[in-house]
Amino acid sequence: MANLPDEEFIERIAGGVELTAEEVAPSRLKAKVYSALMQRQAATSPLMSLTETKACGHELCIFEELVRIAPVGEKAKSLNICRVCHARVLAERMGNAPIYWSGCPYVALKNS
Amino acid sequence: MDSPRQEASGEAQTISSQAGEDSALVAAVLQRDRKATADFVARHSDDLYRYLRSRLAPMYDQVDDLVHEVFLAAWENLPSYQGSGPLRAWVMGIARHKVEDYYRARLRAPESIEDGDQEPVAPPSTSDFHQLLEQDELRKNTWRVLASLPEQYRLALIWRYWEKSSAREMALKTGKTEKAIERLLARARAEFRERWNHGQSS
Repeated sequence: MANLPDEEFIERIAGGVELTAEEVAPSRLKAKVYSALMQRQAATSPLMSLTETKACGHELCIFEELVRIAPVGEKAKSLNICRVCHARVLAERMGNAPIYWSGCPYVALKNS
Repeated sequence: MDSPRQEASGEAQTISSQAGEDSALVAAVLQRDRKATADFVARHSDDLYRYLRSRLAPMYDQVDDLVHEVFLAAWENLPSYQGSGPLRAWVMGIARHKVEDYYRARLRAPESIEDGDQEPVAPPSTSDFHQLLEQDELRKNTWRVLASLPEQYRLALIWRYWEKSSAREMALKTGKTEKAIERLLARARAEFRERWNHGQSS
């Protein structure tokens, strides 16, 4: 290796070393990305309503379930209610947010 | 034991099932299904994060922003996903473009090697180069040397030798001449070599 021209030297190193990182994405980052996507989606047209979401086989969190069974129109059930949820706030700010209830997307992201 | 034909058939089934899963996920995200969107983020964020960290090291403060940008670009372009390849590869393709954009912007800036006077490369634990061929040691040393280089040298080397872009492509994307890129690469290689050898001898 000592006598190789610079180009061949680095080509050999690049060929033998894959530059990989081992870290996983912090849960705060996942939460922020998810919030940004939801905000972007909700800004252009209504989200899938919670009634439809449940019909698709997804589990709803306790707050979503309350909205789903509330006597309000489907339009209200299509809102991005996570926007006003404390779980979102905690998940975006804490590495290991104290959120545990099932069906919550932020809990799912924390555990992913 | 499975015959080669059974194995091939099993692989084909796995690929086909993955493709079906990807298409279903994309369709659900496009219908603004919030749970599917969370699944989309959960499935791809770790791979994306690792890739972007490896390509931007040691400028880690930019990684989160790029992860955001990749996901937003993926969402905007999701209707164009045809399902002809794995969704993961499609998302990583967007990430590669974002990395190129980042390199392009950084390499377009006037060249500066001021940040080259960083911590000297720490000597490896062994002076015997044959032991350095141990994969882990080689990898650590490569990281160490790359991280100590001026940013433009580091990005140019990674773009050319790890992302496998040609000098011509780099020139086209940065708006520089091919000669200018070749000169930059020559200086970057020489600096890499010198720092590598310095680590060997000290």
